[in-house]
Amino acid sequence: MRRGLAKPATLGALFLLWALPLAASLIAFMTVVADVEAWRAMLQHPQLSGALLLSIWIATAGLACALTMSLVIMMGIYGTPLWRRFQAFTGAALALPHLAFAIGFGFLIMPSGLLARILAGGELPPQWVTTQDPLGLSLIACLALKETPFLLAILWSLLARGDVAAAFTGQWRSARSLGHGTASAWLRVLLPQILPRLAGPIIIVWVYGATVVDMALVIGPTQPPPLAVIAWADLNHADAAINARGMAAAAVLTLVLAVIAACVWVGITLMQRAFKVLMSIGPSPLAVTKAPAVFLCSVLFAAYLLVAVMLVVVSLSGHWPYPELFPDRLQLEAWHHLWREPAPLFLSLLLALATSGLAIGLAVLCLEVTGNRFDRFLMAAAVLCLGLPALVIAGGQYRLFLAIGLTATLPGLWLAHFTAVFAYVFIVLKGPYRAFDPRWQSVANGLNSGKLRFWLQLKAPFLKAPLLMAVAIGFSVSMVQFVPAQLMAAGRFATLPMEAVTLASGGNRALTASYALALTLAPALVFLAAFLFSRPRWRQPWI
Amino acid sequence: MTLLSRRHFLAAAATTLIVPRSWAGGWSAVEAEAKGQTVYFNAWAGSETINAYIAWAGGELNARFGVTLNHVKITDAAEVVRRVRDEVKAGQQEGSVDLVWINGENFRAMKADHLLFGPFAQNLPNFQLVDVEGKPTTRIDFAESVDGLEAPWGMAQLTFFGDGAKIGRPPLSMAALADFAKANSGRVSYPAPPDFHGTTFIKQVLVETAGDGGMFARPIAAGTFAEAARPAFDFLDRLHPHLWRGGKQFQQSQAQLKQMLADGELLMALTFNPNEPANLVASGELPATTIAWQHEKGTIGNTHFVAIPINARTKAAAQVVANFLLSAEAQARKADLKVWGDPTVLAVAKLLPDEAKLFNSATAPGGVRYPGPAIPEPHASFVPLIEAAWLQRYGA
Repeated sequence: MRRGLAKPATLGALFLLWALPLAASLIAFMTVVADVEAWRAMLQHPQLSGALLLSIWIATAGLACALTMSLVIMMGIYGTPLWRRFQAFTGAALALPHLAFAIGFGFLIMPSGLLARILAGGELPPQWVTTQDPLGLSLIACLALKETPFLLAILWSLLARGDVAAAFTGQWRSARSLGHGTASAWLRVLLPQILPRLAGPIIIVWVYGATVVDMALVIGPTQPPPLAVIAWADLNHADAAINARGMAAAAVLTLVLAVIAACVWVGITLMQRAFKVLMSIGPSPLAVTKAPAVFLCSVLFAAYLLVAVMLVVVSLSGHWPYPELFPDRLQLEAWHHLWREPAPLFLSLLLALATSGLAIGLAVLCLEVTGNRFDRFLMAAAVLCLGLPALVIAGGQYRLFLAIGLTATLPGLWLAHFTAVFAYVFIVLKGPYRAFDPRWQSVANGLNSGKLRFWLQLKAPFLKAPLLMAVAIGFSVSMVQFVPAQLMAAGRFATLPMEAVTLASGGNRALTASYALALTLAPALVFLAAFLFSRPRWRQPWI
Repeated sequence: MTLLSRRHFLAAAATTLIVPRSWAGGWSAVEAEAKGQTVYFNAWAGSETINAYIAWAGGELNARFGVTLNHVKITDAAEVVRRVRDEVKAGQQEGSVDLVWINGENFRAMKADHLLFGPFAQNLPNFQLVDVEGKPTTRIDFAESVDGLEAPWGMAQLTFFGDGAKIGRPPLSMAALADFAKANSGRVSYPAPPDFHGTTFIKQVLVETAGDGGMFARPIAAGTFAEAARPAFDFLDRLHPHLWRGGKQFQQSQAQLKQMLADGELLMALTFNPNEPANLVASGELPATTIAWQHEKGTIGNTHFVAIPINARTKAAAQVVANFLLSAEAQARKADLKVWGDPTVLAVAKLLPDEAKLFNSATAPGGVRYPGPAIPEPHASFVPLIEAAWLQRYGA
């Protein structure tokens, strides 16, 4: 009886709170995309092909670097004390918003930045082509450094699961006794199991890299810029015809991303056989060396430390002329501003708690009451939700909310935040959650245990790490929502990112840096808590 | 308080010939209706000094007229145009915007789509003090007639600035600017259009290189534009190789340009507020040796305004705010370099002596050392053509 009600109730809530607002934006998007004039204008845009290639290149290169770095680190240090300790750092790194990282990284590498002051000196800054380089290399570096901790955290939450760790330990021992070296055991036995569960996060990283606007505006190339920047500028224009051209640009980008993703998927399916052959060669004594992993950990740690120190110093600085290594004087002015108006901070915290809490509840319910087929559908919707420009999603939602009188209300503001938060939470949670060994359920059924009791006493403790990670990611995603907040608040509410972005538009660096740090603090605490509480209960030996 | 009511009386007495009789009574009715209302003022909030000024105005309005001013902080007025358009389309009578800081393209879009309340501006008692003859851009916004649909708030004129200790005598024409860029290769830049500072820079090139100045006041067709703009683009072709990154990459905003000047990466930057450099010196962002200049034969100038959307909830209070912002006291405070430094739209000669005294004409470090006359904005039809031609030529 209760089971019969749970499914319609869950799906009803999912539809009302998430799918309906998302569908409204997609419909609004489609109607504009049907505008022939907009397509003509977009296809005639002189920067279209260059910008599109740049977007794909930046996203792919950024993903390749981040994935390689995180896998090398995992293989090198998993099972050592460093793996565990490094996770605390990963949480802090994840909490730093992308934009804040780009700003801090820019302070380091730009021609008037700290590195130039140390290395080049002289009266005037050197004419280095670091930020805004035409190939987007600085943006790629930024993305790679920012996404590696994300992938590492996902890997951690997967490997911190008691059941997975136990299974992997057994498989690892078997492979080792069959004569496989450590590298061979990773490549042939463990990675083929890990990578499919990483598909969601990999797609997020790739789509994010291709659609990111704020980071690209800070350090990305400008002539041409990535396509998302062109779409963003067009969507922000006062002229309705140019808005439509921006919608067409967003559609082009989405379409190309979908086609590439489909091709890659088909390619991987076709190559299954070849992979199998590769997997069965052996045993090979190939061993993993720890040195590259430790080196990459140090690079990551150093980059984040420098970025954080840079942001702190800049937030306290007034005039800081080249080539001084330190500002003339330190001042607290920028921080005072935050103290004077604490309301946006509290509203953001409240929204983040409410959205991430409900998102995790709804995601778990969905995963419990529906099957694999529904997952695929929900996954596609979630990826679409993250892949389309925020302005498209939020713009369509805004029109729906306007019609039903939800704009300028707290529930409307909350729903607008919920859209992206749920998408992230679901994508992050799905892989690890579905990988839960169903045999436990059979055991429980055999013991005649109630469903809720089974979930609370067995499943939740097993899945503690991915659940907490998903909450933490949802929280941090909510904290940085700008476009939906700005639209839905209609000037009646102010959140922290709204304050940060409006202040940053004037280019005051100290204010920008202090708000970037303020946006970091709360998520950092949540990530830290997630790591502390997700320590596995089982100590498994690892060779 | 006494100062204001005395001026109301004098202004009313002096202008009975041009103002309808019902006006004086009408205005007190507006003030009465405004009492207790809240105005959501949507205004760009990228500057702490401007935000502080708006907060001050809010305090005064509350104390004197019982009007609550709520500053809605935005990054771009185009946001507001879109929001009002969507609200009106959705039939929302009680909109979220009561007053918006606006001009140029955004004004033209709102006017064309009938999204503005009014005409109201000429009915504001303090409008009588505006220098409509001396500052024609208070009547014509980017060659678009204002028609009382927006009330003037401040003046703007394209102004260049840099560290006087590094550049000596600044270039006072586009030709001199090209020589300066050649001598200081890689140290000059401008924001890429459609950023409006960038578009204005191109307009300035257009005006300085064109033979016939008369064409700028009239609408222009795409065909004639190509011919008319040839000298300007020839000039840019010659200038670009000497710019930052060889003219292949550009800044996206004036804020970036300004920041790169402060960092020493660039030798000069540009602004629309002639007093911004002085303001930046006062706030410690630029050194005291900073100088500002305009071109000898003039630079593009315009006016920025406040407007009331057609679906504003508190139109009476919004008018009271617009009127207060035009008062000698509010305008003088705004023009003060220590507060904001935004030039007044008023004719100081029209003011009472003790009001005129409020306008402190003292110069400050970073002030405009080489002033030039203001040149009206070319007709708004130039803007999309400039943006498209620039993108075609230098965008890829």
